[in-house]
Amino acid sequence: MSGPDPGGLVLDGVSAAYRGTPVLHEVDLTVDRGELLVVLGPSGAGKSTVLRVVAGLEPVTGGRVRIAGRDVTGSRPGRRNVSMVFQSYALFPHLSVAENIAFGLEVRDVPRRTARERARAAAESVGCAALLDRRPGQLSGGERQRVALARALVREPDVFLLDEPLSNLDLALRVEMRAELRALHDRLGATMVHVTHDQTEALVLADRIAVLRDGRVEQVGTPDEIWRTPATRFVARFVGSPAMNLLPADGPVRPRGDSPPGALVTDTGRLEIGFRPEAVTLDAADGAPATVDRVEVVGEDAYAYLTLAGGEPVVARVPAVRRPHRDDSVRVGVRWADTHVFHAATGLRYRP
Amino acid sequence: MSVRPDARSRRQLALMLTPYLVGLVGLVLLPALVTLGLAFTEYDLLRPPTWVGLDNLTALTDDPIFRVALVNSLVFALVAVPLRVLVALGLALLLHRRALGVGSARGAALLPTAVPEIAYGLLWLWLFNPLYGPINQLLRTGGENGLTVLGRTPPQWLTDPTDARAAIILMSLFTMGETFVVLLAARRSLPRDVYEMAALEDATGWDVFRRITLPLMAPVLALLAVRDVVASLHFTFVPAFVVTDGGPPPYSTTYLSLFVYQTGFEYLRYGYAAAATLVMILLTVAAVVVQWRLFRRYRGFYRL
Amino acid sequence: MRGRASGPSPLPEAAGRIWRTLGAAFVLLVFVPPLLLLVSGSFTEPGLPPSPTPRLVPDPVSTTGYVQALELGGLLRASLNSLLVAVVAVPLSVLVASLAGFALARVAARTTAVVVGATLVALMVPATALLVPRFAIFRTLGLTDTLVPLIAPALLGTSPLYVLVYYLAFRALPADLYDACLVEDLSPMRTWWRVALPLVRPVTAALTALTFVLTWSNFLDPLVYVYDRDLFTLPLALRSLSVLDPTNFPVFLAGAVVATVPALIVFLLAQRRFLHHDDDPRGRS
Repeated sequence: MSGPDPGGLVLDGVSAAYRGTPVLHEVDLTVDRGELLVVLGPSGAGKSTVLRVVAGLEPVTGGRVRIAGRDVTGSRPGRRNVSMVFQSYALFPHLSVAENIAFGLEVRDVPRRTARERARAAAESVGCAALLDRRPGQLSGGERQRVALARALVREPDVFLLDEPLSNLDLALRVEMRAELRALHDRLGATMVHVTHDQTEALVLADRIAVLRDGRVEQVGTPDEIWRTPATRFVARFVGSPAMNLLPADGPVRPRGDSPPGALVTDTGRLEIGFRPEAVTLDAADGAPATVDRVEVVGEDAYAYLTLAGGEPVVARVPAVRRPHRDDSVRVGVRWADTHVFHAATGLRYRP
Repeated sequence: MSVRPDARSRRQLALMLTPYLVGLVGLVLLPALVTLGLAFTEYDLLRPPTWVGLDNLTALTDDPIFRVALVNSLVFALVAVPLRVLVALGLALLLHRRALGVGSARGAALLPTAVPEIAYGLLWLWLFNPLYGPINQLLRTGGENGLTVLGRTPPQWLTDPTDARAAIILMSLFTMGETFVVLLAARRSLPRDVYEMAALEDATGWDVFRRITLPLMAPVLALLAVRDVVASLHFTFVPAFVVTDGGPPPYSTTYLSLFVYQTGFEYLRYGYAAAATLVMILLTVAAVVVQWRLFRRYRGFYRL
Repeated sequence: MRGRASGPSPLPEAAGRIWRTLGAAFVLLVFVPPLLLLVSGSFTEPGLPPSPTPRLVPDPVSTTGYVQALELGGLLRASLNSLLVAVVAVPLSVLVASLAGFALARVAARTTAVVVGATLVALMVPATALLVPRFAIFRTLGLTDTLVPLIAPALLGTSPLYVLVYYLAFRALPADLYDACLVEDLSPMRTWWRVALPLVRPVTAALTALTFVLTWSNFLDPLVYVYDRDLFTLPLALRSLSVLDPTNFPVFLAGAVVATVPALIVFLLAQRRFLHHDDDPRGRS
């Protein structure tokens, strides 16, 4: 983890605790300069704590934090040259939008004129220049979001920290802001850490994704790597919706094709195979018999919830026009190429 | 929020807290300790205090005036405090929703609290005057020779012991403004859906009050009652001092507060006054403990 | 009033409104007359025999009471003293309370617990119980017969309750706002001044008014500490006026009106803050 310092952000074996309970366990993370890293995980995984530790809002109980080559582990938040977009946006209700954006500059004794000019420029770059004279109370959720972004980027910090900034927006706006956020990042070439529990957001937005679980990093990789080669069973099931099917490797479903995992039971214990709903076919001649419990139609697609003869549940995604009906009997098939194999005991990916 | 502040922050926060801590220690905690010390001495401010041990306290138990003052204070607390809280609660429930005149009524209920105690006392001194006072003027209308319509003598407010006590309680009822404000806010912060639920169940007004409003407001009521008991030791002072001067004889409206004041500042027996103060503080503590226990069973409703 | 006969509760809107207005009228009828009588009494000609029937408008209307009150009671001097005390004590008190309240909301939880505990204890001590020892302390410091003991309670925020109110108000502000201040490198002092204080302006307005009323009305402290007539505050001057001639009520009622008006004005200006805060996001505390 040491090696040449990339000038971005480095977490080196960082541990943190909240009221005596450990929430981060020796987290190692490197964010290159200009990279957008998304920290993804379920609630309670310690995602926000990662950000707060970087910002200095939460103390570490072990490890070091380096920003742009400086060790900031003991520095107070204001000295770290980071900026943060809070989930609640944390705009100051008593200040106008312009004052909110210029706030960080003015308290650092940047001359008023310069501060206002830079605030205007920042506002323009996120498309909220028309709002400068308004108060946060008069803004919609999306507008607040833009102001919060402008406030974060006006100081040109070494690292941007974004704590679930899109979670308070409705779906349409979230999709729009997601794209804008990505465009903004590409334009600025800024180093960003973005926290979310939304796997779609992570896949769309990230250069790389760090999946967090119970205060530990499960996997760090590009969205492609996370999707195609999940390092653990947890990552495999957390990314993708509905979640990946998981069955004993020597169970009822025998994948077809020519790349079996060598053995179905290794000397370290049983193996499990996982396959996404879209990999399932329902009319395989040699497939495992199953019955349809219920079918959900989502536009063009339909999700069929099945139960195998042995009682194991399986979800399949099929085109809506070819969906089965409740109580239908189907034969579940899948190809080896579409499966992921994990050690049942450890949950780690099995590499033959 | 839980980050350990850096040295600069700690220093500044300590600085911000310091003036108040000086006040808290210098004006409350230290004086309370001094009381504890002085209570066992004889002290007239001229000569240094001399240690007399428990003499002051034993003397107090034999002092008829003190005993009267103690009983008066207790009776006042037992009668006036529940009445004050009840009046405040009634007003809060009556005035918590908008309607024509409700805003003015809220203001009016608060007005007497804003009047300086002494001015308020003087006002009542006149209102209660048996001869000139508007109250008895009113009671005499329609009657003859200074009698009421029913042919009875109007109350001799400030010269009859019972009437004088009633007068002071009456005065105190008008100044429950603070309690009223808190109860008003408490009532208005109760969740609306609970009441809508009750309406769906066709609950009557009384049921709603007994089963919803009262239990939900119980913790606030308890707190206010405790506060009022403590305050009652204090707010009897000005009325008794200005309106009745502790009389009519013998000491009908001499309360502990007046007793302490007179003993200390009129008879210059500071040690003795401190001993009486000590009794007052002990009473306060007892009142707080008793009421806290009484209302503790309601605590689960709220997290205060 | 809301009997079984009147149907489900909440009452149908129209009927409910009428009942509430009637109730409000009743409240007005009980609480307003004493103050009207205060004003009317103060305009009565001194020395007249009591009128056989009660009357709200005195006959004749006379300002003699006010003239005599100013002359006999030295009310002008006393008003200036009261004003002086208020001008020093009220801002100081609000400052102390808001600083302490802010610090309590930001220091380590253990410190907060100790100080809030001590504050609750202080609230439980009746003012009269501190009379004797406070007097002994101020006398030792040689500060009796000055205005200092009248200003000193400002160090307590006038009432420790106000410190608690500020504490609760500051604590109720979103934690993210404080974090944002930390990220922008604001010291606690500047956070207090630039962010926290502006956000609790209604609290400050209400507490300033209450502090003024309490300070302006303070009777017990001047009574104990001040003997020099030149240092008398308004309440004390009022008392000496009533002792001078207890039967001459127009004079002391006039004095009472003079003492009441400033307190009432400040109070009315502030009352909407704590009576009509329907839209206040911090409705509960």
